Amino acid sequence: MNWKNVLALIRVERKSGRLIRGVKKTRYKENRFLAYWPYWVAAIIGVLGGLGANAIASEVYSSPSEISLPPLETSALGFFIIMPTLVLIFSIVFSMLQQIQMSGVKVTSRVNYWLPITWQEQTLASILANLMGLPVALTIGFAAGLLVFAGLNGLIFAALVTTVFMLAAAFMGSSTTEILRIIQVRFTGAVYKSSGRAAVWVRFIGSITFFIVFYVVYLSITQGFTNFIQGLTTFQSSFWFIPFVWPGLTLFYVFYGMLLEGALFIALTAAFIAALYLSAVKLNERFGLYEPPAIRIQAGGTYTPKTGILGKLGFTSAEAAIIRKDIRSFTRRRELIGLFIVPVVFVIIPLMQSIGITNQGAPQEVSLMFLAMVFLLSSSIMAMSLGNMLIGEEGEAVWRIYASPISPKNLVKSKFAFLLFFAIITLLITGTIGTLFYNPPVNIIAVGFLQGLFLIFPVGSIALSIGFKGADFSVTPRPRMIRPSWSYLSLGACALAALGILSPFIPSLLGMMLSSNLTFESLAAIDFTIPVIISAVISAVITVVFYRINLNSAEELIRKAEI
Amino acid sequence: MDASNVVELKAVTKRYDELVAVNNIDLTIPTGEIFALLGPNGSGKSTTLKMLLGLVQPTAGSVHVLGLDVQKEPVAVKQQVGYVPESPSVYEFLTGIEYLDFIADIYGVPPAEKQQRINEYLKALQLEGREGDMINSYSDGMKKKLSLISAFLNKPKLLILDEPLNALDPRSARIVKDLLHQLKLQGVTTILSTHVLEIAEAVCDRIGIMYQGNILALGSMNELREKASLPSSGLEDIFLKLTGTGDLKPVVEELLR
Repeated sequence: MNWKNVLALIRVERKSGRLIRGVKKTRYKENRFLAYWPYWVAAIIGVLGGLGANAIASEVYSSPSEISLPPLETSALGFFIIMPTLVLIFSIVFSMLQQIQMSGVKVTSRVNYWLPITWQEQTLASILANLMGLPVALTIGFAAGLLVFAGLNGLIFAALVTTVFMLAAAFMGSSTTEILRIIQVRFTGAVYKSSGRAAVWVRFIGSITFFIVFYVVYLSITQGFTNFIQGLTTFQSSFWFIPFVWPGLTLFYVFYGMLLEGALFIALTAAFIAALYLSAVKLNERFGLYEPPAIRIQAGGTYTPKTGILGKLGFTSAEAAIIRKDIRSFTRRRELIGLFIVPVVFVIIPLMQSIGITNQGAPQEVSLMFLAMVFLLSSSIMAMSLGNMLIGEEGEAVWRIYASPISPKNLVKSKFAFLLFFAIITLLITGTIGTLFYNPPVNIIAVGFLQGLFLIFPVGSIALSIGFKGADFSVTPRPRMIRPSWSYLSLGACALAALGILSPFIPSLLGMMLSSNLTFESLAAIDFTIPVIISAVISAVITVVFYRINLNSAEELIRKAEI
Repeated sequence: MDASNVVELKAVTKRYDELVAVNNIDLTIPTGEIFALLGPNGSGKSTTLKMLLGLVQPTAGSVHVLGLDVQKEPVAVKQQVGYVPESPSVYEFLTGIEYLDFIADIYGVPPAEKQQRINEYLKALQLEGREGDMINSYSDGMKKKLSLISAFLNKPKLLILDEPLNALDPRSARIVKDLLHQLKLQGVTTILSTHVLEIAEAVCDRIGIMYQGNILALGSMNELREKASLPSSGLEDIFLKLTGTGDLKPVVEELLR
């Protein structure tokens, strides 16, 4: 193992990671203190957390009414024992998040197979580079907290041992991500090879399913952290045969003086880490340079043009062509597929919250708020995100739009129709889920769908106009699509517009809230016709005004192509 | 504008802040001519071609193409022009056939013609069998072929081709050259930019040599030989002499030291 090679590769990975996060690409000079700020910040938070935990523990244990508590050392060690498993889970989650972030990147650090670097070095560097960032920062934060707390309570040996096993667990997590990454590349390739046109849909649905599972796990951890920690202790002892909990079990045996078992689990942990690393090396040797085969969507043979329904809906051939192209773009490009997870997340969050609250007896005001989120937020955010991205997603191929006989009207009409199509589909799906889950009265369902529509049109129109102005066609290091400052502006403008459109409902809802009568039963009795009409008028005015702005922006974009 | 001219540039200048990319050039190109723009890197060739299509706005002067003011009627001009940029970025998430279908629809080519032309070009440029694959799996040469087909699909009156034969295999390059000759007979005008002087010499009726934003010389091969006072020389010697980059011996010696 040439450690210089490993260090050099880690440095390259780290720097490419910074480029991906948008650090300026030219004349980059690294300030080492600033470059490693997450670690300093994590260490400081950890130290403060350790001091805080010590203060709380001192307060609790000095109180004479709490004499039924187990000794402080027992409670602390019980917490130390689960730390490796906790770090392992965070390490897998965050290293996977980094992999997701890398997936849309054009300039990735490909393996330079012609250089004198072995797969052992390459794999180790990749695993360690994966750890950099949040996994290491979290480990540093936890370790700092544990060491401070332990130092003040005479448990320093236990904290040091725990820190070592947390690092081992973090390495385990990152190795697992590395293995999954290689398998995923090979598996995806196999799917492409065998499935023809279906491969595209397998990728689309597979990516969305992965995101949903990932976010459900992520939200379960972050939203019910206390329950999660309690569950982890039980999990660790019940599922001792799963190698991933062995670092935690090792600590248990060492802390409670069962040294023979402790030694056995130390050996098992070391063997498992070695097995993970060697598996990653072997997989890299086998598939590290694997190029997924070309995706063949259509069979060869004589080409026959198909007639679509877009022409019958009144779109010109150019407009229909742009819409078809964008549908393919958003269902095939990995960095764009992620957009479809946004509405899913905004449905999952309130539903998961509702399930938790309902168990304890939820007030109807809360259900109403969640219902509004499900009905209005997902589709509006879909419209906003699509509006922001639809121009910039053209990327470097935007010259094709400039060089083709596409009028501003063609461009705006096709892009706006596209975003309306997906936002309305989102509304129909999320609205149906909300209706089935919360079972609101019929008038609220109708208002929900109508207001969802009244938000989609203006929000889409505003976001598209900002997408024109803030379009970023650069694709390296990753497709950006919109400059960050413009996306914040879009968020603010869309939120303001949404507030204006929903404002006609404020008087009646406020009145009911003040009289503590905001229930589905009382809402069922209210006639919302006038607020809905006012809302529709506001929505129409904003949509028309911004549609005209869009036409001007499109003309300016095409006229000032300057490629 | 003279009706027999397809392109008329009058006193056209393009500045990028302090940099003068194109400096006050006049140029007319008649119908059915194959015209080449030559020049070293950064001489203003690509900028000039882009101005013809409205992709770059001139700082001063006027650009007329096919009798239309490019700045006032860009869509009408683009409808009649086929363009291939130097490094064409194409929609890599589409298949070859989807890309060509998209282009044909953008130009409003009727379905029957679209089918016939796409099939003919795919066969001629040997993309048959790969048209159903995603473009991200294509080689540079295949992408170039796709861009060339997309430029020919709408039966343009004017072809603007920036380095059209780069990355092409010899057979495809020959087909493209022959195609340009045939299209010339049908009255199609071609303007191309290239670094491959043999192509310009073999294919073009007239050649313009650009250097630092100016057109240094303009004419047929014989006229250029006269201008350079190199009566029996090839285009390479003429080019090097006119652009003042002729004496390369010291450079090579320096590199070998």
